[in-house]
Amino acid sequence: MRRLRQLLLLPLLLLFAVLPAQAERLVSTVSRSEVAITSSFSGEVLTFFGNIEPEAGAAQRFVEGPFHVIITITGPLQDRVARRMTNNLGIWINTEQVLFERFPSYYHVLSDTRLTEITDPVTLAELDIPLPAQADVSAGEQWWNAYAFGNELVRLMVKEGLFGLNEQGVVFRSETFYLAQIELPSDVVPGTFLARTYLFKHGELIAERADRFSVRKIGFERFLGLAAEQQPLLYGLAAVLLALFTGWLGGVVFRR
Amino acid sequence: MQIYLPIAELSMNLFFLVGIGGAVGFLSGLFGVGGGFLLTPLLIFSGVPAPVAVASVTGQVVAASTSGALSYYRRGGIDLHLAMYLVLSGVLGAFGGVATFSALNVAGHLDLVISVGFLVLLGFVGTLMLVEAIRAMLKRRAGVVVREKLPNQHNWIHGLPMRIRFKRSRLYISVLPVIGIGLCIGFVGSLLGIGGGFILVPALVYLLRVPGNVVIGTSLLQVVAMMAVTLVLHAVTNQSVDILLAFCLMVGGTVGAQFGASAGKYLRGEQLRAMLAVLVLAVAIRFGLTLVLPPADLYSMAVAAGGLR
Repeated sequence: MRRLRQLLLLPLLLLFAVLPAQAERLVSTVSRSEVAITSSFSGEVLTFFGNIEPEAGAAQRFVEGPFHVIITITGPLQDRVARRMTNNLGIWINTEQVLFERFPSYYHVLSDTRLTEITDPVTLAELDIPLPAQADVSAGEQWWNAYAFGNELVRLMVKEGLFGLNEQGVVFRSETFYLAQIELPSDVVPGTFLARTYLFKHGELIAERADRFSVRKIGFERFLGLAAEQQPLLYGLAAVLLALFTGWLGGVVFRR
Repeated sequence: MQIYLPIAELSMNLFFLVGIGGAVGFLSGLFGVGGGFLLTPLLIFSGVPAPVAVASVTGQVVAASTSGALSYYRRGGIDLHLAMYLVLSGVLGAFGGVATFSALNVAGHLDLVISVGFLVLLGFVGTLMLVEAIRAMLKRRAGVVVREKLPNQHNWIHGLPMRIRFKRSRLYISVLPVIGIGLCIGFVGSLLGIGGGFILVPALVYLLRVPGNVVIGTSLLQVVAMMAVTLVLHAVTNQSVDILLAFCLMVGGTVGAQFGASAGKYLRGEQLRAMLAVLVLAVAIRFGLTLVLPPADLYSMAVAAGGLR
Protein backbone atom coordinates (compact mmCIF):
# COMPACT_ATOMS: atom_id res chain seq x y z
CA MET A 1 0.00 0.00 0.00
CA ARG A 2 2.73 2.37 1.01
CA ARG A 3 4.79 1.60 -2.02
CA LEU A 4 1.74 2.21 -4.22
CA ARG A 5 1.31 5.65 -2.70
CA GLN A 6 4.93 6.44 -3.33
CA LEU A 7 4.58 5.37 -6.92
CA LEU A 8 1.60 7.66 -7.34
CA LEU A 9 3.34 10.55 -5.64
CA LEU A 10 6.43 10.48 -7.78
CA PRO A 11 4.85 11.66 -11.05
CA LEU A 12 2.96 14.32 -9.12
CA LEU A 13 6.18 15.68 -7.68
CA LEU A 14 7.79 15.67 -11.09
CA LEU A 15 4.81 17.53 -12.47
CA PHE A 16 5.18 20.28 -9.87
CA ALA A 17 8.85 20.62 -10.52
CA VAL A 18 8.34 21.06 -14.22
CA LEU A 19 5.48 23.51 -13.90
CA PRO A 20 6.59 27.07 -14.59
CA ALA A 21 4.21 28.38 -11.94
CA GLN A 22 5.44 30.77 -9.25
CA ALA A 23 7.16 28.67 -6.60
CA GLU A 24 9.12 30.32 -3.84
CA ARG A 25 11.44 28.76 -1.39
CA LEU A 26 12.35 30.14 1.99
CA VAL A 27 15.89 29.79 3.23
CA SER A 28 16.28 30.71 6.88
CA THR A 29 18.70 30.34 9.73
CA VAL A 30 19.50 31.51 13.25
CA SER A 31 22.71 33.30 14.16
CA ARG A 32 23.49 30.73 16.85
CA SER A 33 22.20 27.21 17.16
CA GLU A 34 23.37 26.97 20.74
CA VAL A 35 23.27 29.62 23.40
CA ALA A 36 25.57 28.76 26.27
CA ILE A 37 24.72 29.87 29.78
CA THR A 38 27.94 30.58 31.65
CA SER A 39 28.44 32.31 34.97
CA SER A 40 28.44 35.71 33.28
CA PHE A 41 25.31 35.06 31.20
CA SER A 42 23.08 38.11 31.19
CA GLY A 43 20.91 37.49 28.17
CA GLU A 44 21.77 37.06 24.51
CA VAL A 45 20.82 38.71 21.25
CA LEU A 46 19.86 36.33 18.47
CA THR A 47 19.47 37.19 14.81
CA PHE A 48 17.16 35.38 12.45
CA PHE A 49 17.71 35.91 8.78
CA GLY A 50 16.65 34.39 5.54
CA ASN A 51 16.10 34.81 1.86
CA ILE A 52 13.24 34.09 -0.48
CA GLU A 53 14.35 32.50 -3.71
CA PRO A 54 12.92 30.46 -6.59
CA GLU A 55 12.18 26.83 -5.87
CA ALA A 56 15.14 24.61 -6.75
CA GLY A 57 14.86 23.54 -10.35
CA ALA A 58 12.19 26.08 -11.16
CA ALA A 59 12.40 27.88 -14.47
CA GLN A 60 12.08 31.40 -13.09
CA ARG A 61 15.23 33.28 -12.15
CA PHE A 62 13.77 35.61 -9.57
CA VAL A 63 10.80 35.85 -7.28
CA GLU A 64 8.27 38.61 -7.13
CA GLY A 65 6.81 40.06 -3.95
CA PRO A 66 5.60 41.74 -2.03
CA PHE A 67 6.47 39.22 0.64
CA HIS A 68 5.63 39.30 4.30
CA VAL A 69 7.35 37.35 7.02
CA ILE A 70 6.11 36.33 10.47
CA ILE A 71 8.54 34.67 12.88
CA THR A 72 7.39 33.03 16.09
CA ILE A 73 9.90 31.94 18.74
CA THR A 74 8.64 29.44 21.29
CA GLY A 75 10.61 28.54 24.40
CA PRO A 76 10.52 25.31 26.43
CA LEU A 77 7.07 24.30 27.68
CA GLN A 78 6.20 24.38 31.37
CA ASP A 79 3.14 23.84 33.49
CA ARG A 80 2.14 27.26 34.73
CA VAL A 81 -0.67 28.43 36.99
CA ALA A 82 -2.54 31.70 36.89
CA ARG A 83 -4.01 32.78 40.22
CA ARG A 84 -6.56 35.36 41.20
CA MET A 85 -6.68 37.18 44.51
CA THR A 86 -9.95 37.91 46.20
CA ASN A 87 -10.71 39.80 49.37
CA ASN A 88 -11.75 37.49 52.16
CA LEU A 89 -12.66 39.26 55.38
CA GLY A 90 -10.26 42.08 54.58
CA ILE A 91 -7.37 39.84 53.59
CA TRP A 92 -6.25 39.51 50.01
CA ILE A 93 -5.41 35.93 49.18
CA ASN A 94 -5.14 33.71 46.12
CA THR A 95 -8.41 31.82 46.01
CA GLU A 96 -8.73 30.64 42.43
CA GLN A 97 -6.13 29.12 40.19
CA VAL A 98 -6.13 27.54 36.73
CA LEU A 99 -3.35 25.25 35.57
CA PHE A 100 -2.12 25.59 32.02
CA GLU A 101 -0.21 22.53 30.97
CA ARG A 102 2.57 22.75 28.42
CA PHE A 103 2.55 26.53 28.36
CA PRO A 104 5.50 28.21 26.62
CA SER A 105 8.01 29.84 28.94
CA TYR A 106 8.86 32.25 26.14
CA TYR A 107 6.89 33.31 23.07
CA HIS A 108 7.65 36.21 20.78
CA VAL A 109 6.10 37.09 17.45
CA LEU A 110 8.01 39.26 14.99
CA SER A 111 6.66 40.52 11.70
CA ASP A 112 7.55 43.12 9.08
CA THR A 113 4.20 44.89 9.26
CA ARG A 114 0.90 44.64 11.10
CA LEU A 115 -0.36 41.08 11.33
CA THR A 116 -3.82 42.14 10.14
CA GLU A 117 -2.29 43.51 6.96
CA ILE A 118 -0.37 40.30 6.30
CA THR A 119 -3.25 37.88 6.39
CA ASP A 120 -6.73 37.33 7.79
CA PRO A 121 -7.40 36.50 11.46
CA VAL A 122 -8.62 33.00 10.62
CA THR A 123 -5.31 32.02 9.05
CA LEU A 124 -3.43 33.54 11.99
CA ALA A 125 -5.57 31.61 14.45
CA GLU A 126 -5.16 28.36 12.52
CA LEU A 127 -1.40 28.75 12.74
CA ASP A 128 -1.69 29.50 16.51
CA ILE A 129 0.21 32.74 15.97
CA PRO A 130 -1.68 35.19 18.27
CA LEU A 131 -0.35 35.44 21.82
CA PRO A 132 -3.60 34.36 23.55
CA ALA A 133 -3.62 31.19 21.43
CA GLN A 134 -0.70 29.92 23.54
CA ALA A 135 -3.01 29.28 26.51
CA ASP A 136 -4.87 26.04 25.91
CA VAL A 137 -8.42 26.66 27.07
CA SER A 138 -9.80 23.19 26.57
CA ALA A 139 -9.92 22.77 30.35
CA GLY A 140 -13.18 20.85 30.52
CA GLU A 141 -16.46 22.33 31.71
CA GLN A 142 -14.93 25.49 33.13
CA TRP A 143 -13.66 26.66 29.78
CA TRP A 144 -14.85 30.26 30.29
CA ASN A 145 -12.81 30.46 33.48
CA ALA A 146 -9.79 29.02 31.70
CA TYR A 147 -10.33 31.52 28.91
CA ALA A 148 -10.33 34.50 31.28
CA PHE A 149 -7.34 33.19 33.25
CA GLY A 150 -5.52 32.37 30.00
CA ASN A 151 -5.82 35.97 28.81
CA GLU A 152 -4.58 37.25 32.17
CA LEU A 153 -1.67 34.81 32.09
CA VAL A 154 -0.66 36.04 28.63
CA ARG A 155 -0.93 39.64 29.87
CA LEU A 156 1.38 38.83 32.81
CA MET A 157 3.86 37.11 30.51
CA VAL A 158 3.89 40.21 28.27
CA LYS A 159 4.47 42.38 31.33
CA GLU A 160 7.47 40.23 32.27
CA GLY A 161 8.82 40.49 28.73
CA LEU A 162 8.52 36.74 28.24
CA PHE A 163 5.79 37.14 25.63
CA GLY A 164 5.71 39.83 23.00
CA LEU A 165 4.54 40.97 19.63
CA ASN A 166 6.75 43.23 17.56
CA GLU A 167 5.17 44.19 14.27
CA GLN A 168 8.33 45.97 13.14
CA GLY A 169 10.64 43.20 14.26
CA VAL A 170 11.35 41.85 10.79
CA VAL A 171 13.21 44.17 8.46
CA PHE A 172 13.55 43.55 4.73
CA ARG A 173 17.01 44.58 3.57
CA SER A 174 16.12 43.92 -0.05
CA GLU A 175 13.07 42.60 -1.88
CA THR A 176 13.81 39.13 -0.62
CA PHE A 177 16.34 39.29 2.21
CA TYR A 178 14.99 39.79 5.73
CA LEU A 179 16.53 40.15 9.15
CA ALA A 180 15.06 39.95 12.67
CA GLN A 181 16.51 40.20 16.16
CA ILE A 182 15.34 39.11 19.57
CA GLU A 183 16.90 39.57 22.95
CA LEU A 184 16.73 36.55 25.24
CA PRO A 185 16.46 37.75 28.84
CA SER A 186 18.83 36.47 31.54
CA ASP A 187 16.03 34.54 33.28
CA VAL A 188 15.26 32.57 30.12
CA VAL A 189 14.32 28.93 30.78
CA PRO A 190 17.04 26.64 29.39
CA GLY A 191 15.91 24.14 26.78
CA THR A 192 15.08 23.84 23.11
CA PHE A 193 13.61 26.85 21.35
CA LEU A 194 11.65 26.59 18.13
CA ALA A 195 11.62 29.46 15.63
CA ARG A 196 8.94 29.14 12.97
CA THR A 197 9.12 31.40 9.95
CA TYR A 198 5.99 31.90 7.87
CA LEU A 199 6.18 33.46 4.42
CA PHE A 200 3.07 35.21 3.12
CA LYS A 201 2.25 36.65 -0.27
CA HIS A 202 -1.07 38.33 -1.00
CA GLY A 203 -2.42 37.00 2.29
CA GLU A 204 -1.57 33.39 1.45
CA LEU A 205 0.89 31.25 3.34
CA ILE A 206 3.34 30.11 0.68
CA ALA A 207 6.23 28.69 2.66
CA GLU A 208 7.08 27.72 6.21
CA ARG A 209 10.32 26.87 7.92
CA ALA A 210 11.27 25.70 11.38
CA ASP A 211 14.65 26.34 12.95
CA ARG A 212 15.75 25.15 16.34
CA PHE A 213 18.23 26.50 18.78
CA SER A 214 19.00 25.41 22.28
CA VAL A 215 19.82 27.34 25.41
CA ARG A 216 21.99 25.27 27.71
CA LYS A 217 23.92 25.73 30.87
CA ILE A 218 27.50 24.72 30.30
CA GLY A 219 30.51 24.06 32.49
CA PHE A 220 30.11 24.76 36.18
CA GLU A 221 26.50 25.99 35.87
CA ARG A 222 25.54 22.77 34.10
CA PHE A 223 27.36 20.72 36.71
CA LEU A 224 25.50 22.47 39.55
CA GLY A 225 22.13 22.14 37.83
CA LEU A 226 22.65 18.43 37.21
CA ALA A 227 23.98 17.82 40.72
CA ALA A 228 20.95 19.51 42.30
CA GLU A 229 18.65 17.32 40.23
CA GLN A 230 20.40 13.98 40.22
CA GLN A 231 22.32 13.91 43.51
CA PRO A 232 20.11 16.08 45.73
CA LEU A 233 21.38 14.53 48.97
CA LEU A 234 25.04 15.02 48.15
CA TYR A 235 24.27 18.48 46.82
CA GLY A 236 22.53 19.40 50.08
CA LEU A 237 25.38 18.02 52.18
CA ALA A 238 27.89 19.93 50.06
CA ALA A 239 25.89 23.11 50.63
CA VAL A 240 25.96 22.49 54.40
CA LEU A 241 29.72 21.86 54.38
CA LEU A 242 30.28 25.00 52.32
CA ALA A 243 28.19 27.02 54.78
CA LEU A 244 29.98 25.59 57.84
CA PHE A 245 33.36 26.18 56.24
CA THR A 246 32.53 29.75 55.22
CA GLY A 247 31.24 30.50 58.70
CA TRP A 248 34.32 28.99 60.33
CA LEU A 249 36.65 30.81 57.96
CA GLY A 250 34.90 34.11 58.63
CA GLY A 251 35.38 33.58 62.35
CA VAL A 252 39.08 32.67 61.95
CA VAL A 253 39.90 35.55 59.61
CA PHE A 254 38.37 38.15 61.88
CA ARG A 255 39.51 36.73 65.22
CA ARG A 256 42.08 38.86 66.88
CA MET B 1 29.01 42.42 37.61
CA GLN B 2 26.29 39.95 36.74
CA ILE B 3 26.45 36.38 37.97
CA TYR B 4 24.20 33.62 36.69
CA LEU B 5 22.42 31.61 39.40
CA PRO B 6 21.96 28.12 37.96
CA ILE B 7 19.03 26.98 40.14
CA ALA B 8 17.15 30.26 40.31
CA GLU B 9 17.82 30.44 36.55
CA LEU B 10 18.38 34.15 36.38
CA SER B 11 21.34 36.45 36.63
CA MET B 12 21.81 38.98 39.40
CA ASN B 13 24.40 41.54 40.33
CA LEU B 14 27.15 39.91 42.39
CA PHE B 15 27.80 43.07 44.42
CA PHE B 16 24.12 43.46 45.17
CA LEU B 17 23.97 39.91 46.55
CA VAL B 18 27.14 40.24 48.64
CA GLY B 19 25.90 43.67 49.72
CA ILE B 20 22.52 42.57 51.04
CA GLY B 21 24.22 39.53 52.59
CA GLY B 22 26.64 41.90 54.32
CA ALA B 23 23.97 44.34 55.47
CA VAL B 24 21.79 41.60 56.90
CA GLY B 25 24.91 39.92 58.35
CA PHE B 26 25.79 43.18 60.12
CA LEU B 27 22.36 43.26 61.74
CA SER B 28 22.54 39.59 62.65
CA GLY B 29 25.95 40.07 64.26
CA LEU B 30 24.62 43.11 66.10
CA PHE B 31 21.52 41.41 67.46
CA GLY B 32 22.62 37.77 67.59
CA VAL B 33 19.94 36.51 65.22
CA GLY B 34 20.33 34.67 61.91
CA GLY B 35 18.83 37.38 59.76
CA GLY B 36 16.81 35.04 57.56
CA PHE B 37 13.62 36.93 58.37
CA LEU B 38 15.07 39.97 56.58
CA LEU B 39 16.98 38.25 53.81
CA THR B 40 14.19 35.99 52.50
CA PRO B 41 11.73 38.85 51.83
CA LEU B 42 14.52 40.96 50.33
CA LEU B 43 15.41 38.22 47.84
CA ILE B 44 11.80 37.54 46.90
CA PHE B 45 11.36 41.27 46.38
CA SER B 46 14.39 41.29 44.03
CA GLY B 47 12.85 38.66 41.79
CA VAL B 48 14.24 35.37 43.12
CA PRO B 49 11.49 32.70 43.05
CA ALA B 50 10.12 32.22 46.59
CA PRO B 51 11.08 28.51 46.92
CA VAL B 52 14.69 29.23 45.85
CA ALA B 53 14.94 32.25 48.16
CA VAL B 54 13.67 30.37 51.20
CA ALA B 55 15.92 27.35 50.59
CA SER B 56 19.08 29.31 49.74
CA VAL B 57 18.80 31.71 52.67
CA THR B 58 18.96 28.60 54.86
CA GLY B 59 22.56 28.19 53.71
CA GLN B 60 23.39 31.79 54.58
CA VAL B 61 21.89 31.35 58.06
CA VAL B 62 24.06 28.25 58.67
CA ALA B 63 27.20 30.18 57.74
CA ALA B 64 26.32 33.31 59.71
CA SER B 65 25.41 31.31 62.82
CA THR B 66 28.46 29.03 62.62
CA SER B 67 31.00 31.78 63.24
CA GLY B 68 28.89 33.10 66.11
CA ALA B 69 28.36 29.68 67.64
CA LEU B 70 32.09 28.89 67.46
CA SER B 71 33.09 32.03 69.31
CA TYR B 72 30.47 31.34 72.02
CA TYR B 73 31.68 27.75 72.27
CA ARG B 74 35.24 28.90 72.92
CA ARG B 75 33.94 31.12 75.71
CA GLY B 76 31.91 28.25 77.18
CA GLY B 77 28.64 29.95 76.32
CA ILE B 78 26.81 26.85 75.09
CA ASP B 79 24.77 24.36 77.09
CA LEU B 80 25.42 21.28 74.96
CA HIS B 81 22.99 19.12 76.91
CA LEU B 82 20.12 21.55 76.40
CA ALA B 83 21.14 22.13 72.79
CA MET B 84 21.01 18.38 72.12
CA TYR B 85 17.35 18.17 73.18
CA LEU B 86 16.47 21.28 71.19
CA VAL B 87 18.28 20.04 68.08
CA LEU B 88 16.75 16.56 68.11
CA SER B 89 13.21 17.87 68.49
CA GLY B 90 13.96 20.69 66.06
CA VAL B 91 15.02 18.21 63.39
CA LEU B 92 11.71 16.38 63.81
CA GLY B 93 9.87 19.68 63.44
CA ALA B 94 11.91 20.53 60.36
CA PHE B 95 10.77 17.35 58.60
CA GLY B 96 7.18 18.43 59.18
CA GLY B 97 7.94 21.96 58.04
CA VAL B 98 9.57 20.93 54.76
CA ALA B 99 6.75 18.48 53.99
CA THR B 100 4.19 21.23 54.64
CA PHE B 101 6.25 23.60 52.48
CA SER B 102 6.05 21.20 49.50
CA ALA B 103 2.34 20.56 49.99
CA LEU B 104 1.55 24.29 50.19
CA ASN B 105 3.72 25.00 47.17
CA VAL B 106 1.65 22.54 45.15
CA ALA B 107 -1.67 23.89 46.46
CA GLY B 108 -0.71 27.50 45.70
CA HIS B 109 -1.07 28.77 49.26
CA LEU B 110 2.65 29.09 50.00
CA ASP B 111 2.73 32.87 49.60
CA LEU B 112 -0.24 33.34 51.89
CA VAL B 113 1.13 31.08 54.61
CA ILE B 114 4.54 32.74 54.44
CA SER B 115 2.97 36.20 54.65
CA VAL B 116 0.58 35.36 57.49
CA GLY B 117 3.26 33.34 59.28
CA PHE B 118 5.73 36.21 59.19
CA LEU B 119 3.04 38.68 60.18
CA VAL B 120 1.83 36.75 63.23
CA LEU B 121 5.27 35.66 64.40
CA LEU B 122 7.10 38.91 63.85
CA GLY B 123 4.24 41.01 65.15
CA PHE B 124 3.93 38.95 68.31
CA VAL B 125 7.62 38.60 69.06
CA GLY B 126 8.37 42.20 68.05
CA THR B 127 5.71 43.60 70.36
CA LEU B 128 6.86 41.43 73.27
CA MET B 129 10.46 42.45 72.82
CA LEU B 130 9.66 46.14 72.42
CA VAL B 131 7.53 46.21 75.58
CA GLU B 132 10.20 44.37 77.55
CA ALA B 133 13.02 46.57 76.27
CA ILE B 134 11.17 49.84 76.92
CA ARG B 135 10.30 48.66 80.42
CA ALA B 136 13.98 47.90 81.06
CA MET B 137 15.00 51.31 79.71
CA LEU B 138 12.47 53.14 81.90
CA LYS B 139 13.63 51.21 84.95
CA ARG B 140 17.23 52.10 84.26
CA ARG B 141 16.31 55.73 83.84
CA ALA B 142 14.38 55.60 87.12
CA GLY B 143 17.54 54.35 88.76
CA VAL B 144 16.41 50.83 89.53
CA VAL B 145 19.24 48.30 89.39
CA VAL B 146 18.44 45.96 86.52
CA ARG B 147 19.10 42.35 87.36
CA GLU B 148 21.33 40.74 84.79
CA LYS B 149 19.84 37.33 85.41
CA LEU B 150 16.13 36.76 85.38
CA PRO B 151 14.62 35.84 88.73
CA ASN B 152 14.34 32.25 89.74
CA GLN B 153 10.61 32.63 89.76
CA HIS B 154 8.92 29.46 88.64
CA ASN B 155 6.00 29.42 86.27
CA TRP B 156 3.62 26.58 85.34
CA ILE B 157 6.20 25.15 82.96
CA HIS B 158 8.46 24.27 85.86
CA GLY B 159 5.77 22.07 87.35
CA LEU B 160 5.70 19.59 84.45
CA PRO B 161 6.92 15.99 84.92
CA MET B 162 10.04 14.27 83.46
CA ARG B 163 12.51 16.70 84.92
CA ILE B 164 16.12 16.73 83.83
CA ARG B 165 19.08 18.65 85.19
CA PHE B 166 20.83 20.98 82.72
CA LYS B 167 24.10 21.76 84.53
CA ARG B 168 25.46 24.67 82.57
CA SER B 169 22.12 26.45 82.49
CA ARG B 170 21.68 25.67 86.20
CA LEU B 171 18.18 24.43 85.48
CA TYR B 172 16.22 21.43 86.71
CA ILE B 173 13.17 21.37 84.48
CA SER B 174 10.89 19.06 82.53
CA VAL B 175 12.04 18.05 79.03
CA LEU B 176 8.51 18.44 77.65
CA PRO B 177 8.62 22.24 77.14
CA VAL B 178 12.16 21.94 75.76
CA ILE B 179 11.01 19.41 73.16
CA GLY B 180 7.88 21.45 72.45
CA ILE B 181 9.91 24.60 71.79
CA GLY B 182 12.32 22.61 69.59
CA LEU B 183 9.47 21.16 67.53
CA CYS B 184 7.81 24.54 67.02
CA ILE B 185 11.04 26.31 66.03
CA GLY B 186 11.96 23.47 63.67
CA PHE B 187 8.57 23.53 61.98
CA VAL B 188 8.23 27.29 61.66
CA GLY B 189 11.88 27.82 60.76
CA SER B 190 11.94 25.38 57.88
CA LEU B 191 8.54 26.55 56.65
CA LEU B 192 9.45 30.23 56.60
CA GLY B 193 13.16 29.87 55.82
CA ILE B 194 14.26 31.53 59.03
CA GLY B 195 16.63 30.28 61.70
CA GLY B 196 14.16 31.02 64.41
CA GLY B 197 16.80 32.61 66.64
CA PHE B 198 14.60 35.60 67.29
CA ILE B 199 11.83 33.30 68.60
CA LEU B 200 14.13 30.84 70.35
CA VAL B 201 16.00 33.42 72.41
CA PRO B 202 12.85 34.91 73.99
CA ALA B 203 11.38 31.41 74.44
CA LEU B 204 14.49 30.21 76.30
CA VAL B 205 14.68 33.37 78.40
CA TYR B 206 11.04 33.88 79.32
CA LEU B 207 9.67 30.33 79.30
CA LEU B 208 12.59 28.21 80.50
CA ARG B 209 14.50 30.91 82.42
CA VAL B 210 17.80 29.95 80.79
CA PRO B 211 20.49 32.33 82.10
CA GLY B 212 21.70 35.08 79.77
CA ASN B 213 25.29 33.86 79.41
CA VAL B 214 24.32 30.63 77.62
CA VAL B 215 21.15 31.72 75.82
CA ILE B 216 22.65 33.20 72.67
CA GLY B 217 25.32 30.51 72.21
CA THR B 218 22.88 27.65 72.73
CA SER B 219 20.37 29.27 70.41
CA LEU B 220 23.03 29.78 67.73
CA LEU B 221 24.12 26.14 67.92
CA GLN B 222 20.51 25.04 67.64
CA VAL B 223 20.05 27.30 64.62
CA VAL B 224 23.16 25.90 62.90
CA ALA B 225 22.05 22.29 63.36
CA MET B 226 18.44 22.96 62.45
CA MET B 227 19.19 25.00 59.37
CA ALA B 228 21.80 22.48 58.19
CA VAL B 229 19.14 19.75 58.31
CA THR B 230 16.58 22.03 56.67
CA LEU B 231 19.06 22.87 53.92
CA VAL B 232 19.55 19.19 53.09
CA LEU B 233 15.79 18.58 53.23
CA HIS B 234 15.09 21.49 50.89
CA ALA B 235 17.77 20.20 48.51
CA VAL B 236 16.25 16.71 48.49
CA THR B 237 12.52 17.50 48.38
CA ASN B 238 12.34 20.73 46.39
CA GLN B 239 15.74 20.88 44.68
CA SER B 240 15.53 24.60 45.18
CA VAL B 241 18.86 25.31 46.90
CA ASP B 242 20.96 27.63 44.77
CA ILE B 243 24.46 27.03 46.06
CA LEU B 244 25.92 30.04 44.22
CA LEU B 245 23.23 32.38 45.54
CA ALA B 246 23.76 30.99 49.04
CA PHE B 247 27.54 31.37 48.74
CA CYS B 248 27.32 35.04 47.66
CA LEU B 249 25.07 35.75 50.63
CA MET B 250 27.34 33.78 52.99
CA VAL B 251 30.46 35.70 52.04
CA GLY B 252 28.74 39.01 52.65
CA GLY B 253 26.98 37.68 55.71
CA THR B 254 29.99 36.32 57.61
CA VAL B 255 31.98 39.53 57.01
CA GLY B 256 29.04 41.73 57.95
CA ALA B 257 28.38 39.67 61.07
CA GLN B 258 31.88 40.33 62.42
CA PHE B 259 31.45 44.08 62.07
CA GLY B 260 27.98 43.85 63.56
CA ALA B 261 29.29 41.94 66.56
CA SER B 262 31.96 44.56 67.28
CA ALA B 263 29.46 47.39 66.79
CA GLY B 264 27.19 45.66 69.29
CA LYS B 265 29.71 46.18 72.08
CA TYR B 266 29.02 49.91 72.07
CA LEU B 267 25.31 49.49 72.77
CA ARG B 268 23.49 48.40 75.89
CA GLY B 269 21.46 45.20 75.91
CA GLU B 270 18.03 46.79 76.18
CA GLN B 271 18.89 49.33 73.48
CA LEU B 272 19.84 46.49 71.16
CA ARG B 273 16.65 44.64 71.98
CA ALA B 274 14.53 47.73 71.38
CA MET B 275 16.18 48.29 68.00
CA LEU B 276 15.71 44.66 67.02
CA ALA B 277 12.08 44.87 68.13
CA VAL B 278 11.48 47.91 65.92
CA LEU B 279 13.14 46.13 63.00
CA VAL B 280 11.05 43.00 63.52
CA LEU B 281 7.87 45.05 63.79
CA ALA B 282 8.70 46.96 60.61
CA VAL B 283 8.98 43.71 58.67
CA ALA B 284 5.72 42.51 60.23
CA ILE B 285 3.92 45.71 59.20
CA ARG B 286 5.29 45.36 55.68
CA PHE B 287 3.84 41.85 55.44
CA GLY B 288 0.58 42.99 57.02
CA LEU B 289 0.15 45.74 54.45
CA THR B 290 0.53 43.34 51.52
CA LEU B 291 -2.29 41.28 52.97
CA VAL B 292 -4.65 44.16 53.67
CA LEU B 293 -3.99 46.68 50.89
CA PRO B 294 -5.67 45.95 47.56
CA PRO B 295 -3.04 44.42 45.27
CA ALA B 296 -1.88 46.31 42.18
CA ASP B 297 -2.70 43.23 40.13
CA LEU B 298 -5.37 40.73 41.08
CA TYR B 299 -3.74 38.07 38.96
CA SER B 300 -0.39 36.44 39.47
CA MET B 301 1.39 33.51 37.89
CA ALA B 302 3.84 30.85 38.91
CA VAL B 303 5.52 27.84 37.41
CA ALA B 304 3.64 24.80 38.69
CA ALA B 305 5.67 22.55 40.98
CA GLY B 306 7.63 20.01 39.00
CA GLY B 307 6.97 22.33 36.09
CA LEU B 308 9.52 21.79 33.35
CA ARG B 309 8.45 19.34 30.69
